[in-house]
Amino acid sequence: MMREGRIRRLPVALSSLVALALAVLPLPAVLDAFRPDFLVLVVFYWCIASPRAGGLSLAFFSGLALDVINGVVLGQHALALTLMGAWATHLRLRIRVFSVLSQCLTIFALLTGYQFVLFWVDGATGNPVTTFGRWLAPFIGALLWPLLGNILSKAHER
Amino acid sequence: MVTFRSTDASGRTTGLLFRCVLYALLALGLIIVDKRYDHLGRIRRLLSVVAYPVQVAVSSPFEGWNWFRDSVTTRDALRADKTKLEAELRVAQFRLQRYEALEAEAQRLRALRDNTAAVTDRFIVGDVMSVDLDAFRERVLVDKGAGDGIYVGQAVLDSGGVFGQVARVGQMTSEVILVSDAAHAIPVQINRNGLRTIAVGTGETNRLKLPYLPTSADVLAGDLLVTSGLGGVFPAGYPVGTIAEVKRDPAQSLADVDVKPAAALDRSKELLFVWLKPQAAEVLPPPKPAPVPKK
Repeated sequence: MMREGRIRRLPVALSSLVALALAVLPLPAVLDAFRPDFLVLVVFYWCIASPRAGGLSLAFFSGLALDVINGVVLGQHALALTLMGAWATHLRLRIRVFSVLSQCLTIFALLTGYQFVLFWVDGATGNPVTTFGRWLAPFIGALLWPLLGNILSKAHER
Repeated sequence: MVTFRSTDASGRTTGLLFRCVLYALLALGLIIVDKRYDHLGRIRRLLSVVAYPVQVAVSSPFEGWNWFRDSVTTRDALRADKTKLEAELRVAQFRLQRYEALEAEAQRLRALRDNTAAVTDRFIVGDVMSVDLDAFRERVLVDKGAGDGIYVGQAVLDSGGVFGQVARVGQMTSEVILVSDAAHAIPVQINRNGLRTIAVGTGETNRLKLPYLPTSADVLAGDLLVTSGLGGVFPAGYPVGTIAEVKRDPAQSLADVDVKPAAALDRSKELLFVWLKPQAAEVLPPPKPAPVPKK
């Protein structure tokens, strides 16, 4: 059995960087609204699989990176990702033994909560986005979870 | 089924609530400071330098592909391009012949009125980076920043007309908010009769609207809208768009006017950043009302 103390951070850093690049990859305008929050899913995975490898620091700084790269008010994605990352960490032992369907539903709830915090901060800072398009991302993210989770757990085990 | 490594199963997270509250408060503090005060400009500029490699890494394969496609175009395509450009140049030169005379005339007329507004402005060219920003806002990232002298609120044009203005400046990049963004408004006037109003973005790339014109306003489909120079952000006299459709509902007091932007908002790769001379903010004087005959 592997020793507890040994935590590999390389997969965490690499997967986060790739997800960050996917977040700004140019897509046709039609597909842009359907873009899932890759980095959010990756952060959730690490919060569930190995909270000590990334944890809330990973969540906070990933959020800050999204703020800078998306050009929104500083701290918006950081707040949303911190809160939902903490919730995912809290639920991690249960999520690990869930069936695929339950996992997807939980991830959907987490992603919706994430969008809600973004929505709320947008409104509170005076530039609300009220299109329904933004509520699509949680659906797509939840559908993508089994695939992304498997890829990440392969990377994690190696 | 997503499987998780069993070795981490017992990994305890001590003080999860404490750290969550700490980071959440930090994020809230950042939001408030960023929104209310202007102190974070330098921090943001520094962070944008860190983000720059990611943006370049994402952007460069697309630039590379464009370069590759450019370098393997056939001779025929190049010839066709050349013919087209020559034709365009002929038309442009034909129009330019009168420009010199018109500028001189404008200077003379302004001198008469003791008003020295310049017609030409200083500008630099920036390239749009192949990077997607927020999907629900009309913004682009450009590869010129504070290092090139770009400032917040600077007017941005493309070859067709007004493109937008600078919303945020990093060290090497800047963010341009398009005229079609739902949060953007630009003071304009109708070129035909000098009627002034405000063009507001809709959030759709190829549509602006004029929400503040009464149903009786003299506005027709096909009218050219130019910047009025009011507000001091945009230089006066640049094309903003053409009126696409005017819907007049007699039950409403305001007309519903759609505008097609003059700039190629979804296609332009090269943008012009314009330095506005302070005295250039000038508008046409409103036409004088006819004197009322006295009895």
